[in-house]
Amino acid sequence: MSGFNEDNMGSHAQLSSQFFGDLLDSIIVDVASECHRIARLGLDRNLEEEEEELRLSAQARVRVADPSNSGEANSKYVVDIFGQTHPPVANEIFDCMNCGRSIMAGRFAPHLEKCMGKGRKARLKVTRSSTAVQNRYSQGSPVSTYSPYSNSTSTSRLSNGTSSGAGEEYSNGTFQEP
Amino acid sequence: MRASVNRPPTPDVGDTQEKQPTLEEIINIKFIESGEKERLMELLRERLIECGWKDEMKALCRAFVKKKGRNNVTVDDLVHLITPKGRASIPDSIKAELLQRIRTFLVSAAL
Repeated sequence: MSGFNEDNMGSHAQLSSQFFGDLLDSIIVDVASECHRIARLGLDRNLEEEEEELRLSAQARVRVADPSNSGEANSKYVVDIFGQTHPPVANEIFDCMNCGRSIMAGRFAPHLEKCMGKGRKARLKVTRSSTAVQNRYSQGSPVSTYSPYSNSTSTSRLSNGTSSGAGEEYSNGTFQEP
Repeated sequence: MRASVNRPPTPDVGDTQEKQPTLEEIINIKFIESGEKERLMELLRERLIECGWKDEMKALCRAFVKKKGRNNVTVDDLVHLITPKGRASIPDSIKAELLQRIRTFLVSAAL
């Protein structure tokens, strides 16, 4: 019997080891499968963050080394912190509230100069309108159909600038001093 | 007798007779049917997590994935990576405990 027992023990030990090996293999495959899943799904945050940081630092290094990106010298093509570039002339188009034309934003100020203020033609345009402020510069008539090209002499127009009265009336051609 | 042209030959009785299951297979079946295999597997898993073996294996995998690129890794790669190191780094106490339980079961199953 003892021989039989020993044989049994021997084969038992062998069988046990074998069986243990099987269990271990199954667990190893499970662990490998789990790690594979984490890797492929990108669930390992540390790994991703490191990759991301490496990439960003490489990018930053390139940008710093590149001389054409330095400072204000090339400000036309500089990139702001949101990564946007701005063209040198603002190119949004809208309508001028004075004359109603389509104007490019970057050209709006010069346009307004012509449209509202400094030119001879501008001033003529203005006097045709009926606002109270602009009437001060006209010959005083509140009538909207007032024509600047009246028969009065040009001297009366010159005196408009110096007249202090707001509603002074002028008869045809006569010139009154205040 | 004229045999039908289309009918495949009936297999001999000798071919269909199953071979004797090996001892290994018998043991496996006994383990599974009694539920002991499941219990042993859970026990082994728990012990390996407690002692940090699983974390070591996961660290190995992570290093490998980082080196190779996470989309270039297959399960096979990882299995081949872990198996030798995994088998070698099992703590002796855990191995002994499991072997003891397996042997006990074999005895109780009168094998």
